[in-house]
Amino acid sequence: MSDKVYRLGCDIGGTFTDFVLLNDETGEIKIHKCLTTPQDPSDAVEEGVVALSGKEQGFVKKLDEVIHGTTLVINAIIERKGARTGLITTKGFRDTLELGREIRYAPYDIFSEYPVPLIPRPLRLEVDERIRSDGTVLKSLDTEEAKKVVHELMDQGVTSIAVCLLNSYENPVHEFMLKDIILKEAPDMSLSISYEVLPQIKEYERTSTTATNAYVKPLTGTYLAKLTQRLETLGSTGKLFIMLASGGITSAETAAQFPVRVIESGPTAAVIAGQYYGKMFNIKDIFCFDMGGTTAKSCLIQKGVAGVVPTFEVGRVQRFMKGSGLTIQVPVVDLMEIGAGGGSIAKVSRMGTLQVGPESSGAAPGPICYARGGTGPGVTDSDLVLGYLDENFFLGGEMKLDKEAAIRGIEEQIAKPLGVSLTQAAWGIHDLINETMAAAAKTHIAEKGGNPKIVTVAAFGGAGPVHAYGLTRKLGAPKLLIPPIAGVGSALGFFTAPRAFDLVRSHKASLAEADFAEIEKIFQELEAEGDRTIQKAGKAEESIFERSLDMRFVGQGSETNIAIPEGDFARIKREDIRSKFDEVYKNLYGRTYPESEIEFINFRVRASLPERILQLHKIEKKEGISLQDTIKGQRSAYSPIAQDYIPYTVYDRYKLFPGAAFEGPAIIEERESTIVVGEDTSIAVDEYGFVWIDMKKEE
Amino acid sequence: MAQKFDPITLEILWRRLISIVDESDASVARTAFSSLTRDAHDYTCMFTDRKGRELAQGTLATPGQAGAMALGVKNLIGKFPIEGYKPGDIVICNDPWLLAGHLNDVCVMSPIFYQERLEAFTACVFHHSDIGGRVSSDNHDVFEDGLYIPPVKLYDDGVPNEPVFQMIRWNVRTPDEVIGDIRSQVAANHVCAEKIEEMLHDTGMGTLDDLADEIIERTEKSMRSSIDKVPDGVYASEAIIEQVGEGEDVVIKMSIEVKGSDITVDLAGSSPQVDWGGNVVYNFTYAYVFMALKSMFDPDLPNNAGAAKPIALDAPEGTVVNCKFPAAVAARMQIGHFMTETVYRALAPAVPDKVIAASGGTPATMNVFYGRRNNGSPWHCVIIRGGGMGASSQYDGYYDVIFPANGANTPVEVFESDTPLLVERREIIPDSGGAGKMKGGLGRRVVFRTPDDEYAPLPPVNLGIQAGRYRYPPAGLFGGKPGRKAYFLVNGKDGNPYKLTQFGPGDVVTIDVPGGGGYGDPLERDPELVEHDVANQYVSVEKAREDYGVVIDAKTLKLDIEATGKLRGSLKKS
Repeated sequence: MSDKVYRLGCDIGGTFTDFVLLNDETGEIKIHKCLTTPQDPSDAVEEGVVALSGKEQGFVKKLDEVIHGTTLVINAIIERKGARTGLITTKGFRDTLELGREIRYAPYDIFSEYPVPLIPRPLRLEVDERIRSDGTVLKSLDTEEAKKVVHELMDQGVTSIAVCLLNSYENPVHEFMLKDIILKEAPDMSLSISYEVLPQIKEYERTSTTATNAYVKPLTGTYLAKLTQRLETLGSTGKLFIMLASGGITSAETAAQFPVRVIESGPTAAVIAGQYYGKMFNIKDIFCFDMGGTTAKSCLIQKGVAGVVPTFEVGRVQRFMKGSGLTIQVPVVDLMEIGAGGGSIAKVSRMGTLQVGPESSGAAPGPICYARGGTGPGVTDSDLVLGYLDENFFLGGEMKLDKEAAIRGIEEQIAKPLGVSLTQAAWGIHDLINETMAAAAKTHIAEKGGNPKIVTVAAFGGAGPVHAYGLTRKLGAPKLLIPPIAGVGSALGFFTAPRAFDLVRSHKASLAEADFAEIEKIFQELEAEGDRTIQKAGKAEESIFERSLDMRFVGQGSETNIAIPEGDFARIKREDIRSKFDEVYKNLYGRTYPESEIEFINFRVRASLPERILQLHKIEKKEGISLQDTIKGQRSAYSPIAQDYIPYTVYDRYKLFPGAAFEGPAIIEERESTIVVGEDTSIAVDEYGFVWIDMKKEE
Repeated sequence: MAQKFDPITLEILWRRLISIVDESDASVARTAFSSLTRDAHDYTCMFTDRKGRELAQGTLATPGQAGAMALGVKNLIGKFPIEGYKPGDIVICNDPWLLAGHLNDVCVMSPIFYQERLEAFTACVFHHSDIGGRVSSDNHDVFEDGLYIPPVKLYDDGVPNEPVFQMIRWNVRTPDEVIGDIRSQVAANHVCAEKIEEMLHDTGMGTLDDLADEIIERTEKSMRSSIDKVPDGVYASEAIIEQVGEGEDVVIKMSIEVKGSDITVDLAGSSPQVDWGGNVVYNFTYAYVFMALKSMFDPDLPNNAGAAKPIALDAPEGTVVNCKFPAAVAARMQIGHFMTETVYRALAPAVPDKVIAASGGTPATMNVFYGRRNNGSPWHCVIIRGGGMGASSQYDGYYDVIFPANGANTPVEVFESDTPLLVERREIIPDSGGAGKMKGGLGRRVVFRTPDDEYAPLPPVNLGIQAGRYRYPPAGLFGGKPGRKAYFLVNGKDGNPYKLTQFGPGDVVTIDVPGGGGYGDPLERDPELVEHDVANQYVSVEKAREDYGVVIDAKTLKLDIEATGKLRGSLKKS
């Protein structure tokens, strides 16, 4: 075991696959970036591993863990490349998947589009059975008919089956009977049972989640098996872990069972990294901000913990409009995603106002300055015109930007129609996208009960450090933090992610009448299941369990989550649960009503293994180097304070040393990104190479 | 000196106003009690400037409440001396004529102060499942409809007005739910007020007045520039809405005058008010006329008082579209929802690409179920749902949305755990969408069964229905065929949807909502789309042939192009 000193993090994104190799003994990090290979994503993984072997000889055999995040699952859904999937439902309910919840997400738009269900009507079949809402059997499953239904789906060429029966969250007996039948009649069939995927009330949400799981299960299984095999062939004996959208990591086997929980795990890593830095530097509230080419994602980390929400929408058919996607109910880190990135296009709206996004030119054709055929002025164009980016040092100079074309584009398409100057137009684009992000950020922070004025902003992604200063000002936040290798640094999150799995069971019972011994049994079952799931990783470590309750006033439709201590539930006093609920409820909603009855709805367990420590590498000061030596020169760039172009000092991030400190305005360049800060800042570099920016108070 | 806003700042501030209402809207789902509110989203949050002009409404608003509130909140504000408002005041009211057209829609309104100056008002209307009264479409006056709450203070200077709470509590069937939802309304207003104050503080604007002027002006301009493109003229249409019982059908006469960027809708000649609950107050009629015009001319711009400025409505008092007190109004959506499609039909010749055919979700279908469980405890549940959308020049109608209102369904598992009833089916009805070049959305069937075993409730189970289209199906446009009608069956036989229905253990109730109307000649529909519809079991092989002239092989479900050409040729001749 002792020679297994390496961990490899690998994030497959839409365009690039990022690698971060960590030596746990020295804390040294090596990075690599290569193009994603969509036809077989494991090609890029192999390519990256081989390339890293060149930088770090013989590390493959010393790999302890490979941790992997991927957008494979979400892309398969968006591109409709999943398996031919069948659905078996209770008689009378095969259209649940298609009927959804009916609300029109844009009330005045009569041409709104809605997502097409993943499983078409002819592949949705019914069985005669019925469970009542209290879990008792009203009508037993007709097993002969069930067999016929399975064969009918086989005849239709289905390779994956989802089973979701009404009220199964209260009693899965018929779902399990169907499982046995399918295993017997069709041993090779990929299978997803709603009780195993999401044992929760509300049939549309459960069906949709189970169907989505079934849809991506075969391809995820194949891919993970292939990846495991490839890594073995390369000589790795390290264990493969997969990051989940909830921020936990789990074994490849479990991920293959519940691919819907993986959904989109790349962006989550940045949040996990932010969470880690918060702990490392003892910062209570961090606002994680990750801005790429088409979207920006952010997340508030409070008291060291990022929020996790129970639902997610995938494949929104009207860009970013809430309600236009397929609902899946899996725990996901509460990321706020907005359609704002470096490629977002600016235009003048019919109202005569400036509008930026959500249309994006993406990487191809890209903004005008990429000179790859893009004609719409984008955010990157304005960043260039404002002097924040260097036309000769984009991606370290690998890509020359066309500044003249960017100027022309903004001048003609924005400045003239709005009747403002070029500078006002360029600044308007930069500022509006910041404002869009700030407005969304403020809502997100407010919803979490946070305060933007006390958060530390941590910026990630190619465009993050360019816009973080403006965002920080708008939030009124006092501090901005740019971690090392910010452009790919989110992959560091893989190393600090908890190896965890969340489980939930629904069971409605009033606080006054609930059988606490029965509840203890539910918790124990969930814990046993959680233990099995995470211990598949084969570690000799004790599982850790966190229990919580979803409770509400009788008659309410939404629950409030209450954490409860370890130990036998049967020994907890009813009045303690009651006062805990009232305390949490009042804190959230201003007042509580102790005279009104409350009830249990869901029981939750988070199973995890102990966190592993990440030892970051310290940077060193080269002998005789002074701050002057880190300066590349000066550049004229726009200052919102002076409302004019002023000289900014340009620093080389790779030369900055511990203890380096200076005042804004400053531009700090590294290969994957550029930090831009104004004259109201003080900058300091710490021993790990983090750049700390203090925002001076205006007055 | 009025503050000026450059286009960029304006956009930023405007966006913030919307997100403030959306926050208050989102708080409702977390705190509400009735499933109609928490699961079906039958509520609207909004706020106005100090003059009562609507500035922003929740993104998921239901247009009937929103449009009626745009007029009604202004009226409500005026019921108290403006200088008399104090921070901590909260007003409650459900006067149908003042506000949203029926007693179930209860408005809770609060003034917003900043630095001791009145700046704005925030209000929300929830559709309360229960407001007492007699639950049926065939009430004869508003007193049968339930509890009437005139504009009164629910909180005075922050102090709860206990007698008002008690009065409400003792006049409804499900007091915990009704009071719980009122508490949720108070919380929603609180969220909105707090955020507005915060915004005024953060931005240093000091007052909303100038921003309000700017937003309203720009919105009006945008709406006008779009209306301006419609050729001037008078466009007329008529709607015939089936009457409850034996009475004559209700007729809506609509004449729309477009003159430059102004639109005047005149409903003179429409039927007099009726002696059942379908009567519509002016505000609600206005709301759905406005809904249609907004959807046609400026669907994307956030809604506020500016969008309504170019639109005038004349509806003679005493008609069914501007009924007089004390008409029964509980079922006002059975007529009010028709305003939207009547506008579309009138303007279809002028702007054929901006309209849709009649929808199966017009009117929305609402079911009020209540009774007692076998242990004697009362239960009560209201569910709503839509039907197939009407088709348009570019799109098939979507399946099952509430239109022109808005809201969600109640999950069957939630319904079954809240009531003693069983839902036996909830499914799409094939062939129910009106045939057309673009196909109308499909309707849907829901079947309820009352258990007759140890789970049987005490008889009777009561069911009040608000719906329509039992006789006249949703019409098509430009040669499109109508969608399938609505059906209401009790134990397989036609029931009377317009009266309170009572049934007992073992009884089965079937409610079919209609499909939407088609758009354009079905013989011009792309045969491959028909093939796709047949393969997906939305359209049968028989109907493909009959309605669309498309021949699909019953075994392979493949399109026979040649036979289709021939069949269509002969159908066109005849």
